[in-house]
Amino acid sequence: MTVDPILLEIVQGSLASVEREVETAIARTSRSPMIRDAHDFRAGIHDRRLRKLTGRSYSALVHPIARDFPLDTMRPGDIFFHNDVYTSEGGIGHLPDLCVTVPVFHEEDVVAFVQAFGHHDDIGGAVPGSMPSHARSVFEEGLMVPPIKLWDAGVRNEAALRIMTRNSRMPDSLAADLDAECSACLMGSRRLGELFARYGRAPIEECFDALLANTTETFRREILVKIPDGSWVWEDYAEHDGVDPPRLHTQRITLTKTPDRILLDFTGTSEQAKGPINHCGDYADGNFLKKWLAPILRNLADTPERMAELDVNEGVVPLIEMRFPPPGTLLTPIFPAPTNARTFVILRLLGVLAGVLAKAVDGRMPADQETIRYTGVYGEDADGEQYLMREVLGGGSGGRYYADGEDTIHVVPESRNLPTEFTESRFPFLVERLGLAVDSGGPGEFRGGLGYDKHIRMLKDASFMSIADRSILACWGVRGGRAGQPFSVVVDPGGPGEREVDALADGEPVRVGEVIRIRTTGGGGWGDPLQRPVEKVLRDVLWGKVSAAGAREGYGVVVTGGTSGMDGTGHTVDIGATRSLRAQLRAARPAEQPFFDRGPGYARLSGGAPYPDVDLL
Amino acid sequence: MARRVRIGIDTGGTFTDIVAIDERTGELVTTKTPSTPEDPADGFMTGVGRVLDLLSVDGSAVSSVAHGTTVATNQLLEDKLGRLGFITTEGYEFLLEIARQSVPDGYGNSYFWVKPDRIVPVDRVRTVGGRLDFCGNEVRPFDTEQAAEVARWFRAHDITTIGVCFLHSYADPSHEQAMRAALAAEHPDAVVSLSSDVLREYREYERAITTLVDAAVKPKVAAYVAGLARRLHEFAPGVPFSIMRSNGGVLSAAEVVHQPITTVLSGPAAGALGAGLIAQRAGYERVLTLDGGGTSTDVSVVLGGEPTLTTEGSIGRYPSKIPMIDVVTVGAGGGSIAWISPEGTLKVGPRSAGAVPGPMCYPEGGAEPTVTDAHVILGRIPPHLLGGEIPLSVDAARSGLSRLAAELGMTVEAGASGILEISAWNQANALRQITVKRGLDVRDFTMVTFGGSGSLLACRLIDILNLPAVLVPLDPGTTSAYGLLTVDARCDYVQTAVSRHRDLSLADVSSAYAELRDRAAAALGREGFPAGDQRFLRTADLRYFGQAFEVRVPVADGDLDQSAADVVASAFHDAHRALYGYDFAGDDQQQVEWVNLRVTGVGPIRRPTPRSVPGGDGAPVAAQTGERGVWFDVASAPAHIYDRALLRAGDVVAGPAVIEEFGSTIPVHPGFTATVDRHGNIVLAGSSES
Repeated sequence: MTVDPILLEIVQGSLASVEREVETAIARTSRSPMIRDAHDFRAGIHDRRLRKLTGRSYSALVHPIARDFPLDTMRPGDIFFHNDVYTSEGGIGHLPDLCVTVPVFHEEDVVAFVQAFGHHDDIGGAVPGSMPSHARSVFEEGLMVPPIKLWDAGVRNEAALRIMTRNSRMPDSLAADLDAECSACLMGSRRLGELFARYGRAPIEECFDALLANTTETFRREILVKIPDGSWVWEDYAEHDGVDPPRLHTQRITLTKTPDRILLDFTGTSEQAKGPINHCGDYADGNFLKKWLAPILRNLADTPERMAELDVNEGVVPLIEMRFPPPGTLLTPIFPAPTNARTFVILRLLGVLAGVLAKAVDGRMPADQETIRYTGVYGEDADGEQYLMREVLGGGSGGRYYADGEDTIHVVPESRNLPTEFTESRFPFLVERLGLAVDSGGPGEFRGGLGYDKHIRMLKDASFMSIADRSILACWGVRGGRAGQPFSVVVDPGGPGEREVDALADGEPVRVGEVIRIRTTGGGGWGDPLQRPVEKVLRDVLWGKVSAAGAREGYGVVVTGGTSGMDGTGHTVDIGATRSLRAQLRAARPAEQPFFDRGPGYARLSGGAPYPDVDLL
Repeated sequence: MARRVRIGIDTGGTFTDIVAIDERTGELVTTKTPSTPEDPADGFMTGVGRVLDLLSVDGSAVSSVAHGTTVATNQLLEDKLGRLGFITTEGYEFLLEIARQSVPDGYGNSYFWVKPDRIVPVDRVRTVGGRLDFCGNEVRPFDTEQAAEVARWFRAHDITTIGVCFLHSYADPSHEQAMRAALAAEHPDAVVSLSSDVLREYREYERAITTLVDAAVKPKVAAYVAGLARRLHEFAPGVPFSIMRSNGGVLSAAEVVHQPITTVLSGPAAGALGAGLIAQRAGYERVLTLDGGGTSTDVSVVLGGEPTLTTEGSIGRYPSKIPMIDVVTVGAGGGSIAWISPEGTLKVGPRSAGAVPGPMCYPEGGAEPTVTDAHVILGRIPPHLLGGEIPLSVDAARSGLSRLAAELGMTVEAGASGILEISAWNQANALRQITVKRGLDVRDFTMVTFGGSGSLLACRLIDILNLPAVLVPLDPGTTSAYGLLTVDARCDYVQTAVSRHRDLSLADVSSAYAELRDRAAAALGREGFPAGDQRFLRTADLRYFGQAFEVRVPVADGDLDQSAADVVASAFHDAHRALYGYDFAGDDQQQVEWVNLRVTGVGPIRRPTPRSVPGGDGAPVAAQTGERGVWFDVASAPAHIYDRALLRAGDVVAGPAVIEEFGSTIPVHPGFTATVDRHGNIVLAGSSES
């Protein structure tokens, strides 16, 4: 290494600190709940070659800005803005993600960029919240803004701001959020400018090169070596697109590993959906998707502690090649295909990559998780004012070869659920239960984590909305582990008006006094559940995470006596009965078993086949 | 003998620091004694004895003792919380498992993150029926039969430390009080904390954790404080004995055991207060404090002598909503270990060699090079500690560091300089983050450095952060203990009462304030402060409707009429702008919402008069004790060595130089000056040519 190791460490520490400072400033000054509570925003620092330098967060791309505004035309005080998915080079997935980009200057030249995007309340379109689950085109999803100058050499573009706020149902929070992003990025850009001023441009740029090269080398040395050379194929599905009846929307990856690269070929992915689950992936050679998917590779590191240490910056890009099918698929949609629920595709792709890797490495990857869905209610509050309560509820994560999956977690770091004591003070309902959905975690030697069991009792008539996948198909288990339970919403459970609500619902009417019961997905299990130690199954029963019936059916463990929950004591395991039940279950297994378990929902959508061929090793 | 000696004792990880002042003569003495972690009371009593010897008085001369303790902190950091039980509202038995659903740190971590064990496992959680709404109205009555059953269950299972947190109990504590009554009747041995006693503030998960932590530390803190009080009273019968709390005030030992969680930041709070007061007396209003120890460095912001408080703190892995001084701890201290990452870059910390085995240069020191080793190699500290009591081995440090430097292809000195430079940047980034969090600009602040290693990188921090100056108090090793002598009695009471400003019931707010004030007055009365001496500070937390963060603003004394309430709202707009850069004053679409009402009761004490040092002639030749080669730059250059005890007010030391004293060292880099003020503080600043 020729670069000064001291300066390299200083630069790396400063980049991480600036990234954190910018995010801290946005978190504290923005107003949309999606940013504030769900933490659905990110900051990133990029060099003048548009390479992402920071490693903790995913982020959008600077490519569209540089494409439309050559660097040598940029001036101090410029702030760029865009949210237009189809002109974002794949960096922006849906219109509510408003992205601000600030160039960093050294002397006369642009030397870096500080960028942030956040998920704002409302950017117009067909429904409040700008996420119409039945949209058929992007025109229903809100206002599209291609890259523009929001500030021009320190002068704010008032016309643009007026157009944007005029198109939003929540103009004030939109304006406040934009202010928050702009001032935070300006602060970050000042900080980086100081670093260039102190050390000079060449040494700093050498450090940028070195820290990206280090990432490339680390992934090559610690991750790629874990994958044998060869080729594997796997697929998973979104189950509905909001327009067509539920069916299998295939996302397929053929992974080919050569000594120092991996090739991800998405051929075999379904045609683009009529509804909003498409994602614009095939831009800039898949640059965004490479950085979006690479964190999954971290699971191949030696220990969970080491996995947590690995940064994902532009340095992963040279290691990954992508091939996309021709235009017109879920990953290569043609304008103006709708995209607001593209999480159905990009979150699923994380799992497809985990699954295809699992085939390559004898299952030493986590089982499936599904940890994002939007649920909410809206209507008039006690004062007769309109409200929208929308929350992102997590789910259980998949079992790992070293640990059970975790209960009710969220893939977005620092994303938080809404405290009952906050929501009840602001919206007309009571949260009667905030619990875990018993038996929702997929059985396995390492059990999947549990999803939520949340009960909301309305104090006024309201409408319920939901944008969720995995309500038919479940989070898959791997290497003998079983699938978790899917997402479900029932209104008035056990009452006269009991009804199941579709997972894509824009406005299900709910009457005063009725309870909405939301159960989110459990994670998939890892490994053979009949190998799970009996005492762990007993503990799960004692803790109310697995029922006595679930212990018997899922694990072949016969638990007698006692009751779960409030009087969760007095359980014992009948060792003799357990031994014979486990032997009986083992004997009843077919000779050939798939490597994955997707749960009973798969057969419903496949026309009867219990599993696809790709599930066999 | 007349009672006239006040004592402050700060128990740290390595040393117990003691400061005593004779209020009649103003004489102030300090000393240090090794801490005794197995029973901190031993070190405490040794220290008291030693300091009284220095003043040639006995226990009967002691007028008060104030103590900064780490008993609760250590119990939390070591995660030894014992077998707790938790009682909550029906339907919420998984509250702790669910937490806030957040996964720490980076994107993608949700796949491999392993959630730490919960503070109470589910099988020791019990729920009771009964429900309040957010105004405290009863939705369903409390189920007393179930409560009795739950109490009996805990007794039968021999679980004796129990936290209770029911939904919305901040608005009405009656259900929790009924639960306490049930426990008292059925399980009288139980130690119980109610969330409505600990923290009357919304957000059930954080309030539950805060309450459980309070319950968990109660037995140990109570036993420790009671034991200390007993030994102290044998020695000085009837002496008032108070404990430093995280909020920057003290409370009597007898009172503090009822809310032991308030002591978790006892030591750092005393340090920030002491440093803040010293800086204010020296004429600085906007101050950063930096307390450098062996394993870590604590930094905080002090404005106008008042440390900034937070209610979003955490200790170890537990969030705490109790008001506490906003201290950020960085894993960058004298013992921080330098290492090479798998990527081949040089890293410093957060792992530390601690006091044992300590840096390589220590007698029987560790096997890995540390920040202290780098300092000693470069000659920036003398080759001994504590005025010569502990010798340091430069050779041991060199041999360890040369291996590391060779791996990086550098000389030993370049490697040592690099370690210190990285350590300085780590501290600088922490200082930036605490200021950004508050919307402040670090360049507007003077920094006070104290603690054993606090001042070693001061000149570098001036340069990196563009600070106007750094102030190093006299005897910086005992600033925290000194802080204990400067602290008022302080107690905080909060009540969540959510209302939009336009709908605010002035009568309700006034009566809530009156009730909070009565509670504070009663507490101060128990502390022995007559009504005439008691002071009350009213504040309110406000937000824009829809925000999840509140901003605290003062509420003036007197009747809260509409115009007084409007003044509060207006102060909120201003404070919001100061913190966040914008506000919505004058915008009718943006409702202001009142969230929390707070009263802080203050029982003032007399602060020690500032020390002063005699004036000199500005030329500190008399304080010069020698010269040695010091590496401040790419080569070693001769630097004058000064004895701080011999410096006089007005003296100016120009770098390169090293100022040494018992327990701490100040390297003065080339291009910097150190000026002694009339109180003996050293003010470091870059000279105009730097």
